[in-house]
Amino acid sequence: MIRILAVDDEPAILRLLGAVLGRAGYTVVGAACAREALAALGGGVEAAILDLGLPDRDGLELIPMLRQAGVPVIVLSARSDVAEKVTALDLGASDYITKPFDGDELLARLRVVLRPRDGQDGKVEAALVHGPIRIDPARHEITVDGRAISATPKEFAVLQALVAARGRILTHAALLEQVWGRAHIGDVEYLRVVIRALRLKIEADPANPRLIRNEPGIGYRLGD
Amino acid sequence: MRFPIAPYLYALITVALVSWGTSAFLPVLGLASCALLFLLPVLLAATRGGLGPGLLAALAGAAAYNYFLLPPRYSFAIHGPDNLISVAVLVMVAMVTSRLGTRLREREGEAWALAAHSREAADLSATLASAPPREGLAKGVEAIERRYGALRLLPGGVVPEGDGDFSSLDLSAAAWAMHNGDMTGHGTPVMSAAEWSFIPMSSKARRDGPVAALARPGDGSTRAWEQMVHLQQIVRLLGQGWDRVALEDERRERERWAESDRLRRAFLASLAHDFRTPMTVIAGQLEVLATAHPEADEALLAVRRLDRTMNDLIGAARIEEGSLVPRLESTDLIDAASAACEAVPTPAGMVVERAIPADLPFLPADPVLLHHILVNLLDNALRHTRSRVRLTARAAGGRVLLAVEDDGPGVPLAERARIFERFARIEGGDRKQGSGLGLAIVKGFADAMGMDVTVEDSPLGGARFVLGMPVLAPAAGA
Repeated sequence: MIRILAVDDEPAILRLLGAVLGRAGYTVVGAACAREALAALGGGVEAAILDLGLPDRDGLELIPMLRQAGVPVIVLSARSDVAEKVTALDLGASDYITKPFDGDELLARLRVVLRPRDGQDGKVEAALVHGPIRIDPARHEITVDGRAISATPKEFAVLQALVAARGRILTHAALLEQVWGRAHIGDVEYLRVVIRALRLKIEADPANPRLIRNEPGIGYRLGD
Repeated sequence: MRFPIAPYLYALITVALVSWGTSAFLPVLGLASCALLFLLPVLLAATRGGLGPGLLAALAGAAAYNYFLLPPRYSFAIHGPDNLISVAVLVMVAMVTSRLGTRLREREGEAWALAAHSREAADLSATLASAPPREGLAKGVEAIERRYGALRLLPGGVVPEGDGDFSSLDLSAAAWAMHNGDMTGHGTPVMSAAEWSFIPMSSKARRDGPVAALARPGDGSTRAWEQMVHLQQIVRLLGQGWDRVALEDERRERERWAESDRLRRAFLASLAHDFRTPMTVIAGQLEVLATAHPEADEALLAVRRLDRTMNDLIGAARIEEGSLVPRLESTDLIDAASAACEAVPTPAGMVVERAIPADLPFLPADPVLLHHILVNLLDNALRHTRSRVRLTARAAGGRVLLAVEDDGPGVPLAERARIFERFARIEGGDRKQGSGLGLAIVKGFADAMGMDVTVEDSPLGGARFVLGMPVLAPAAGA
């Protein structure tokens, strides 16, 4: 059984998470505050679902601690504050979901963060696959449904980063830093230009994108 | 002013001394040397006492020279032109020297006055800077009052009517000084009969600036123009102190505002939290129920709508309190439209058609506000349509126009102007649920981002809402 840490000060939410995750076969370890959450880490958990509004300390502070313990974090936020979500992601959260959440969506996000991390044990150059997209970094090749796509170096780098994230959201700043460098962290327009060019090449209908999805004000992720 | 008698006496005494000395030592010194010695009292008297004592010394010297030294001695008989020349020389020396001396003394006086003024200005600057702005200004005013008498600082643009200290002439002078930036009142050419001098505290370029009012000197004397010019400089220094106080006040006010803004935001955030927690529980349990009971789906949709209403309430509060500061960034309308269509589920039996070209220019928009606008327009269309909603966009005249159309009843001409007002649901004809906030938020957010929104008839038969958005210049470097 995969153990998931759920941190929320509302007992009703903890019960709901228990029900939703329990049906999918996970065991939920509930914690009502940061102290309980840190104590629960000792028992070994595979991932954490974390509400940021905790009674004893700011949920944002917990993110680096959980990451350090090797636990991927999905932030469960009641606040519609985009800046806070971006901060959480930049602090190392793997993904976020806003209350009221859709159970299926939460489970999908959880599956993504629980996927075994291939490519991290030395085989950095191995081909990356996400849905119909296959990227071979060594040969600098992209194929979508077996069809070869030509891409500029920036387009290649952006798509590679998205595929490597395997459906996790990447913030605009994270993508810009990874591809253009730290100095261009604010140049969202660069990203827009490259994403638009990529969609023209890989989407069946670039005006109705299914593969490269945007979350307003936050970042991009690959759709399944 | 009393007539200064001392320099004249002094002149006569020196002439007497020289006369006595020369007449005693004439055989030793010779006549020519003795004549030269008579220049001495003239030079001394003219440099120290000016023209009057100088001339007196010259005439007395010439007379004494004639009487005591020139043969025949002890008589005033004038023999030849050489005697007249000696008199003329002494008088000329007296005149020239006295002029030089007078100028010298004037320059010296000016230098002293300048030094004193500079010292006073430096002291005032130091006083102003010696404490926080408000206390520094109070100390500066105190220092000036000690020296020049009662001082009042009048804020710019506001003539202190009904103030017992000022007569109506004073008030007119104050108004003139504020409006024209000139010194007025006592000691100036403008309304000089006033009891106070009014001195602008900032440069003439600033209209309706603050003015310092300085009471007429207590001893009944009149301020000289030179002193007014000096006071103008002093008062400008005070004006700088005054500006510092204003800046300080402004900073405090900003801090206060930021603090209350922070509290408001915290309140809204906790309100959202308090609403969403029970909604999350309800939605979650309904989802579980819906697997066995499909009718729970409708309740689930209602909860999602409740969440949007909640967002509208928070949005309306932000517009209302004026704390809406859009964070504009380059935005692709494709992204915004896709996200909005995902956020608003299409009810069974309805279609949302989307035809947005993939090559529109990018928009400077706050992605979160734009998302909220599109969600509300879509939600509004879905609530009023019979079966079809259409989303289209095109570039026109340096703008992008996004249209959301439906085949519902449309918006009557008379209602179009007020449909974007809060709680402006069309009476009678509209029984569809809606908070009456949705379109007001569309308008409020659009205004904040420099966009506009209008409503017209759609070829589909219903309403067409058009969002006009400015575009970004094409980027380089990507």
